Amino acid sequence: MTGTERLRTLGLLAPAYVWLTVAVFLPLSAMAFFSLLTDVSFGDRDWSFTLANYTQALTNPTYAILLWKSLRLAFWVTVWCVILGFPCAYILARMIKGRSREALFLLVILPFWSNALVRVFSWAIVLRGNGVLDRAVNAVSPWEVKLNLMFSETAMVIGLVHSYLPYVILTTYLSLQAIDDTVIEAARSLGARFPRILWRLILPLAMPGLIAGAVLVFVPVVGSFMEPRLLGGRVGTTYGTLIEDQFVAVFNWPLGAALSFILLAVVLLILAAASPALRRAAT
Amino acid sequence: MIRHALARAYLGLILIFLYAPIAVMAVMSFNASEFYALPFRFSTEWYERLFTNDEILAAAWRSVWIALVVAGVATVLGTMATLALWRHDFPGKRVLQALLFPPIAVPWLITGTAMLIFFFGVGIGRGTPAVIIGHVALALPYVIVTVFARMQSFDRALEEAARSLGARPLTVARKVILPHAAPGIIAGSLFAFAVSFDQFVVSYFLAEPGDSTLPVLIYSAIRKGFTPEINAVSTIIIAVSMAVMVLAARYAKFGGTR
Amino acid sequence: MKTILTTTALALIAPMALADEIRVLNWQGYGTDLDWAITAFTEATGHTVVHEYFTSEQEMLTKLRTNPGAYDVVLINSAFTPQAQAEGLIGPIDAAKVPNLADVDPALVANEDLNAGGALHGVPWTWGLTSFAVNTGDFPEAPTSVSVFWDPALKGRVSIRDDALEAVQFAALATGQNINNITDLDAVKAKLTELMPQIATFWSAETDWNQNMAAGQFAVATYWSGSAARSMSEGLPVAFVVPEEGAIGWLDGLSVPATSTKQDAAHAFIDWMIDPDFYVKWEAEGAPATSNTAAAAALPEESFNRKVLGDPATVARVQFMRPVPDDVRATYLALWQELKAAQ
Repeated sequence: MTGTERLRTLGLLAPAYVWLTVAVFLPLSAMAFFSLLTDVSFGDRDWSFTLANYTQALTNPTYAILLWKSLRLAFWVTVWCVILGFPCAYILARMIKGRSREALFLLVILPFWSNALVRVFSWAIVLRGNGVLDRAVNAVSPWEVKLNLMFSETAMVIGLVHSYLPYVILTTYLSLQAIDDTVIEAARSLGARFPRILWRLILPLAMPGLIAGAVLVFVPVVGSFMEPRLLGGRVGTTYGTLIEDQFVAVFNWPLGAALSFILLAVVLLILAAASPALRRAAT
Repeated sequence: MIRHALARAYLGLILIFLYAPIAVMAVMSFNASEFYALPFRFSTEWYERLFTNDEILAAAWRSVWIALVVAGVATVLGTMATLALWRHDFPGKRVLQALLFPPIAVPWLITGTAMLIFFFGVGIGRGTPAVIIGHVALALPYVIVTVFARMQSFDRALEEAARSLGARPLTVARKVILPHAAPGIIAGSLFAFAVSFDQFVVSYFLAEPGDSTLPVLIYSAIRKGFTPEINAVSTIIIAVSMAVMVLAARYAKFGGTR
Repeated sequence: MKTILTTTALALIAPMALADEIRVLNWQGYGTDLDWAITAFTEATGHTVVHEYFTSEQEMLTKLRTNPGAYDVVLINSAFTPQAQAEGLIGPIDAAKVPNLADVDPALVANEDLNAGGALHGVPWTWGLTSFAVNTGDFPEAPTSVSVFWDPALKGRVSIRDDALEAVQFAALATGQNINNITDLDAVKAKLTELMPQIATFWSAETDWNQNMAAGQFAVATYWSGSAARSMSEGLPVAFVVPEEGAIGWLDGLSVPATSTKQDAAHAFIDWMIDPDFYVKWEAEGAPATSNTAAAAALPEESFNRKVLGDPATVARVQFMRPVPDDVRATYLALWQELKAAQ
């Protein structure tokens, strides 16, 4: 890089990163500091440095169980978002032309702008026994079906997939839409059939978008607690609940902060471990 | 043709899935029962109540304009940063990219509490400016990740060609790079809007009393919960956005020209 | 002419000069933010009221700690008053500025926790019970024992709140223990372990509770007395039960933060809140029990707070909640998390 290029790069990066530093990194550093304390340094509370919060967070089997549960939940939500989102993005980007595409595209995004809590409570009305889904199925089914999906892992996955699906659709759409038609025409004229074109050409080209979407789903879902609690009921306790409890039920910020930095570390480790494979797929 | 019919059917199913709770939300805003009980009995009571409820209306309006400001700022800053990250390789780039994840991965409860303490400590204090500062920071990573994904499909040969024809860097950016990035930028701004519009924890900690946004109003009713008035206001917001988007779709192209 | 103008101007300014904007920190929808009450208060005193809400007691304390001077009146559960007092977050109440205090039940004014630090730091405002309510469709005759929660016939239609302290104290009642001094935590754990498979979900808010009751998802669920009164007044088919094992009692007080700069207006607002006129009107919409004996006496015969909570035999079974030390709280939370994680 030349000197001017270096300056230009710096000029482009600085506003965003300075903003992030002031609003996120410095506050989180304060939290990181808290995570090393015995007690929060408010008023005349005594405190000293300790690693106990981390050892406690890492050795308690309850925490491990719930971390595993949250990772599993995030995995399934991501998988379903990709499975459902890819074809949707493909159809929008490659098969629908003209004005209706813009309209459909916006229709897909719109539900995303409703409030998360309102959305979750609406799902509750749909999924519970004697709810909308139950009544709808029984209206068309010749025999009686008892359908109560509420308060189960299924309900959690449905609610979360609904909340996060637009990320995958949108980012995948962006990649698919950029594919040059002539490339596909060329492949077709060489005799390649659709499945082969899809597998060897379209999927690899869509990969950057799919990966970006998957990351934007997986990362926040690992820390989610509100949707799981309201839809999962008895089975809806997650790692995010643990963190929330330290702030809400007991005044133990150090442990809550330690738990969330462990969560962050695990997420970054997973992304780092997956990144060679992802990068290969993306190029 | 069969493939197209199947494609449309699939899209229809996805839309049914996406709109099921939205439809329920809208229907319940016209249901007389405060407890969302079925069977349905039509009533406009919740709308009548809503229109006399200044608190909800003011909060809804505040949420909308804050989200618009946040989307604007985050999109500009995010796009700039993305272009730098995408354009050049430099030491520390990986680190900068990894730094985008803490705001997404750390639960908002922690980030919100941390912001409260920090902003209070450095004198930014609370209020709408603080809320906007916080929201922009949370929205930035979404913009950067989205625009970056779009730029992956950019053909560098185009840029080389433009340069070899004597175009200056700024011209290249304006005429070649930005048009390619445009759909990504639009998508990023839609994400940024959504992040801000639905963000409750940070607003909750940073808003001044009496200045709350809609999600804060909903969230802080944690003991009592919310009434169908909230359904009514959400329904209005969705209906208005739909109208705006239909208009936008007439005049704008989100997927570029094909 | 000039004098008339001046007096008019003075008349306009005079009440304004005394008028303050006070900031109240409370749960949302908990009495102090009722539209008609605030309007009447502003008309009577000139002071305006702005609300800020908290969603847990810990958060209320955090807000007091991090925003000195921001609040003038705060609702604090008596179990948290000693902690707030010890941290210097709230100041003593000036009884002279709260004339209605004369009518407040002396037993409540003398409450040990509200008098933390040797002086009254919270004006007793409301009290109530955490017990349970049943769907009258399932129970034509209300049960008399908490053992219904463990009835196999009700599996999947039982709910409690997702709150470690409440869950542990509830199980303590069920195992015949003192909620403020739980000696056999193993019995509590065993009882809760048995309860878990019965539970449909943990309820989180009143509306959520109401919806699940209305939809028939719940047959029996823990509930607060004030909320139960409200649900009944809204026509939900439920009955509130104070079982023979007893119930958890709580007392909410109104305090003035030590850093408040509007002490007079704050005290005036508290006085307004314990006024019988306000309470009788609030009670009709569903309210917890009042601390004011004059207000309680003014209630109609058939009102919930008179009929259910006014019964001395019921009150005798109530165990009032005392402060819980941090380490005990943490123990309860760990136990509760372990049980939930095993699901």
